[in-house]
Amino acid sequence: MKRFAFFPGCLIPARHPAMEFAIRHTLPRLGIEIVDLAGASCCPDPIYFKSKDKVSWLAVAARNLTLAEDLGLDIFTNCSGCTATLSETYHLLHEDPELKEQVNRRLERIGRHYRGTTRIRHIATLVRDEVGYDAVRESVVRPLDGLRVAIHYGCHLLKPSRIMQVDNPDNPEVMERLVQALGATPVRHRNWYLCCGKACQSEDIPSNMMHDLLSTVNDVHADLLGMICPTCFGQFDHGQLKISREFNESFSTPPVYYFQLLAFAQGVPFDDLGFERQRFKPDCLRRFESAEAAVS
Amino acid sequence: MTAKPNDNDIVRIDFQFRRELAEKVEGDLASFCYQCGACVGDCPATRYSNRFNPREIMLKVLYGLGDELLGEGSVLWDCVNCYNCHERCPQQVKPVEVIISLKNMLADRGRAPDAVGKVIKTFEESGRTVPYNPAIDKQRARYGLPPLADVPMGEIRKLIEPAADEGGAQ
Repeated sequence: MKRFAFFPGCLIPARHPAMEFAIRHTLPRLGIEIVDLAGASCCPDPIYFKSKDKVSWLAVAARNLTLAEDLGLDIFTNCSGCTATLSETYHLLHEDPELKEQVNRRLERIGRHYRGTTRIRHIATLVRDEVGYDAVRESVVRPLDGLRVAIHYGCHLLKPSRIMQVDNPDNPEVMERLVQALGATPVRHRNWYLCCGKACQSEDIPSNMMHDLLSTVNDVHADLLGMICPTCFGQFDHGQLKISREFNESFSTPPVYYFQLLAFAQGVPFDDLGFERQRFKPDCLRRFESAEAAVS
Repeated sequence: MTAKPNDNDIVRIDFQFRRELAEKVEGDLASFCYQCGACVGDCPATRYSNRFNPREIMLKVLYGLGDELLGEGSVLWDCVNCYNCHERCPQQVKPVEVIISLKNMLADRGRAPDAVGKVIKTFEESGRTVPYNPAIDKQRARYGLPPLADVPMGEIRKLIEPAADEGGAQ
């Protein structure tokens, strides 16, 4: 087993525990041992707290990184926002020794010191690089043949690419390959690259953007939206209802977080995955369970 | 004799504003902006708004037009934080980072929108951005997950206290 420190952040443990369950269920089956990080705080978030004071934001993020440095482990994250904060902190403090010193003066107040020895891995790249697509495919007991998944990458997983170092932001493939490993078919719609709009404080910009995005999702007749960011997830669950009402059109493609889809493909029963709490439930997955029942 | 230029036509750069911005992390990067507009073409906020334009924001920074950026209801909060401008900029200006540094100046002046201030307050009080509530642990238990782990708030409070020599508006 390869060991990694798990940085769960705020949204997934508090709002979407079924996503955390799915991660803790699937990773050990792929040869990854999860080591919990005692004493971790919010990353802190790259939108709100960062906009208050970047130095405090860096100091708290650096503190979180020192927890993994103490264990001598690399960190993996399950939220694109946490990945952005921790990767930017690593990058900035690596590039700017004066800033690193300033942050370390803050950390001295609590008897900690940031060294820069822990790397940050997003869970999708952890699986790609440490497990491999073939091993994911081999872990699947319930191939999702014919399932059409429209992937929403979101912004912070990919950009800025020279800091995130995840994939080519203009033509990424990591999520497509991960979805294919489950036997499903990724479908790319025309507005795949658009932002979910959650971080924007205007009313009109996110509404019109999501309307365009959801319209092209409808055009490709996807069964599901394949999600990898918990913030985007909210925009696509409750958000779809809001856009449907605002524009008096029907948008109802169920969003599913990738690791819940993986858990389902690895054989976890549909009813154990928390889908009943979603506004738009991925009931289309049930056909793979009934197919199994028919065979056995 | 030529007419004297109208004094009102002269752009007066507010260097105090630019010095304050330069104190913020990556706030000085706008100095490298040559106004090519690569950020604009790939900016979703520009595409869906008639007032948000990252090139114009960088120009206002270069001119030191702080008053146009740091008022109530500032256009800066329309940024979607997608990082496309950071990706595209040939000068590595990182417009989104300059915008966030300007937001730090807005926060120093007590001008963060309520929705933003609320999340900041939740973090400062609990070390998380999602407020704690016992229903969370009940939900977690359903999936066999332990209660949310404690955040050592004493340490977080010490860390986010600004140092006297770190600048800011006060």
